[in-house]
Amino acid sequence: MIKIVLLSLVNAFAIWAAVVLADHHKWRALVLLGVVTAAIDVIYLAKRWTVPLKFLIPGTIFLLAFQVIPVVYTVNVAFTNYSTGHILSRSEAISNIEQNSLTETSNGASYALTLMRDGKHQLVLALLDTSGRTFIGTPDGLHPIPKTRVTIADGAITTAQGYTPLKGTELAGIDAELSSYKVPVGGGKAIEPQGFDSAVVLEPTYRFDRQRDAFVRIKDGLVFRDNGRGSFVAANGAEIEPGWKTYVGMRNFGRIIHSSLIRGPFLKVFVWTMVFATSVVLLSFALGLLLAITLNKPGLRLQRTYRALLIIPYAVPAFLALLVWQGLLNDDFGVVNRAFHTSIPWLFDPNWARVSVIFVSVWLTVPYFFLVSLGALQSIPAELIEAAEVDGGGAWQVFRKVTLPLLLIAVAPLMIASFAFNFNNFNNIYLLTGGGPAVNNSPVAGATDILISYTYKIAFAAGKGQDYGLASAIAILIFFTVGTISAISFSRTKALENLA
Amino acid sequence: MSTAESRAELSLPSAAERRRKRRPGIADTWWRHLVAWIGVVIALFPVAYIVSAAFNGDNSLSGSSLIPRKLTLDNFRSLFGVQQHTTGHATFQNAHYLSWFGNSMIVAGGTAVLTVLLSALAAYAFSRFRFRGRRIGMLTLLLIQMFPQLLAVVAIYLIVLNTGDVFHFIGLNTLPALIIVYLGGAMGVNTWLMKGFFDTIPSELDESARVDGATPAQVFWGVVLPLAAPVLAVIALISFISTLNEFVIASVILETQQKFTLPVGLWQFIDQKYSEHWGPFAAGVLIAAVPAALLFAFLQRYIVQGLTQGAVKG
Repeated sequence: MIKIVLLSLVNAFAIWAAVVLADHHKWRALVLLGVVTAAIDVIYLAKRWTVPLKFLIPGTIFLLAFQVIPVVYTVNVAFTNYSTGHILSRSEAISNIEQNSLTETSNGASYALTLMRDGKHQLVLALLDTSGRTFIGTPDGLHPIPKTRVTIADGAITTAQGYTPLKGTELAGIDAELSSYKVPVGGGKAIEPQGFDSAVVLEPTYRFDRQRDAFVRIKDGLVFRDNGRGSFVAANGAEIEPGWKTYVGMRNFGRIIHSSLIRGPFLKVFVWTMVFATSVVLLSFALGLLLAITLNKPGLRLQRTYRALLIIPYAVPAFLALLVWQGLLNDDFGVVNRAFHTSIPWLFDPNWARVSVIFVSVWLTVPYFFLVSLGALQSIPAELIEAAEVDGGGAWQVFRKVTLPLLLIAVAPLMIASFAFNFNNFNNIYLLTGGGPAVNNSPVAGATDILISYTYKIAFAAGKGQDYGLASAIAILIFFTVGTISAISFSRTKALENLA
Repeated sequence: MSTAESRAELSLPSAAERRRKRRPGIADTWWRHLVAWIGVVIALFPVAYIVSAAFNGDNSLSGSSLIPRKLTLDNFRSLFGVQQHTTGHATFQNAHYLSWFGNSMIVAGGTAVLTVLLSALAAYAFSRFRFRGRRIGMLTLLLIQMFPQLLAVVAIYLIVLNTGDVFHFIGLNTLPALIIVYLGGAMGVNTWLMKGFFDTIPSELDESARVDGATPAQVFWGVVLPLAAPVLAVIALISFISTLNEFVIASVILETQQKFTLPVGLWQFIDQKYSEHWGPFAAGVLIAAVPAALLFAFLQRYIVQGLTQGAVKG
């Protein structure tokens, strides 16, 4: 019964959405909606074979829309040159270049303009040039009109026989039509309105030659050819902006290896990412284990209190802790410097910033390893340890040979998972240092940037030129790195065996 | 850790001693208290400072101290826009904090509830049915999660932008849009965790219900879900906290102050010379930490259990 009600609601919503989509002429979306809705109806009304699907469909719809499609899109972009200056499609870029290349002619002919409509209600330009000649301009061309048929006042035509001037209110909605209005005057030149009351002759500096599929600079005949990577480039290397978005194959990956401008920072960032993730995991584990061993003593006074207090950093949302630490580590007013009477630039010196980032991340991660180690320690049978001691093992030996190996069986997979997490821990870097401080030899990568924040900056940092193609290529490399680490982790756990 | 410490740790009391449950003497335990106290001080240092700064009358960063000089609620008042806060050269009034807080609760709460629902449905299918593509399906879920979602944010932005052209209520700068984007990640690791738990619920229970004529849906709602309450609670908490922490997607989709979530709002707050607004900032942090901390306190038993069990299971 509930099923019928829910299904009717879904269908009712789909019908409403369909009407809205039709209203907006979004036909492709409409078809998609129809298919999805029909599929849902079939799955939930069919009797037997769709039972698993009934449970999988709701989550899958969101998964497809907001994970699979974005990922496919991003992977696709990795093989394009999508970046600042290469955003438009090729035909958009060509018309954009044609538009941009229009400049006022050297003799600078200009006209006083009056907007009018002809007998068929078409927009025309009534033009008066500087030497007093009068014309009617239409998209067909420029037609002289005798002075006897017009009246002129205040240096502009006010009336013309057979035409009606536009009144104030009519001007309001005409912007779009006016901005694309051109009166061709031969030789590629055209008269274009500049606002409502003047017009100038514009001529292009480039001409698109459709036969050669190339742009020609009109004044000297220099040819700009399609270089196959989304730009028109001349033999001397000059390039016309903008370019367009096109597939460039493995070029983005090639740039990471070959371009010294990218390779240098990339390698540095990669090494630091490894150092960061490794040291955070190892330090957190060591400290967490130390605390666990310390508190793993039956009958220790205040044991529960200690445990409750020690896991507080784990209970505070990480973004808050990060923002607070940013304040505490402030070099001028920060509490840390004032408490220790130091003036260490915790976040503004490259090396201190690295130390700070690791310290804060460890602070956030220790409670996790503390809890995990405590649980693992308590699960090691006391008899095993006692047996080892009876056999004459020293305390350190017993720890090294018995306790630690047993502990690692349980904790190692979690350490690998934690490594993978910290490898991509964008927040810890971005909310603390923003990846900074800047290092002088790289415009993008800061001292504490890890791969993910570096990539984020390449993709989105305004002002430095956004290179979404390159960023997506690095994203794929990150994916394989993390994927490999996780594969190792999973092959060591029994999670996959449960699948059988 | 040093050798001395581990030796001390491993000089375990003999079985006879343990039977008597005698408290260990101070000679044996002083170093444990010392290590624990050092740990506690480092863990609580920032927390203590924030609590102190939130109630401190001097609301600049340079004026903050561990023990407030003057106890006051002014920071909270100015945070809620009740009162203008003036210190020396800075005037501060924030009318948006309550919206940020509310938005975060709506988004994180909504996402958590729906995530539990969606991933429980999927986990049930993976746990109880044998069908073609089951193994591939689960592996795919894991694989997709390894792609840094952060970098798909442009595609997500474009999707939301285009959807919003037609359906304004899930367009840019709306909370429902943010929630449905987060639901894209509802399956994945959560489904794996839940499937693991569902597998431990004896299938004899479902079978006897099925014999009594229950449909798969009735078994799911009536038998499996109630038994899985602990794991549902833990997944809800994990989802709530990770949504609360999410910064990048929220900062891309939400555009105006009234719609910001806490991370976006507070981050921007910090960007604007916050050393002068340290007091109100601290008050904001304090309040923002409350919901997660409360949830954590209530569910602590389950979380610690889950973590340690997961660890032991390996």
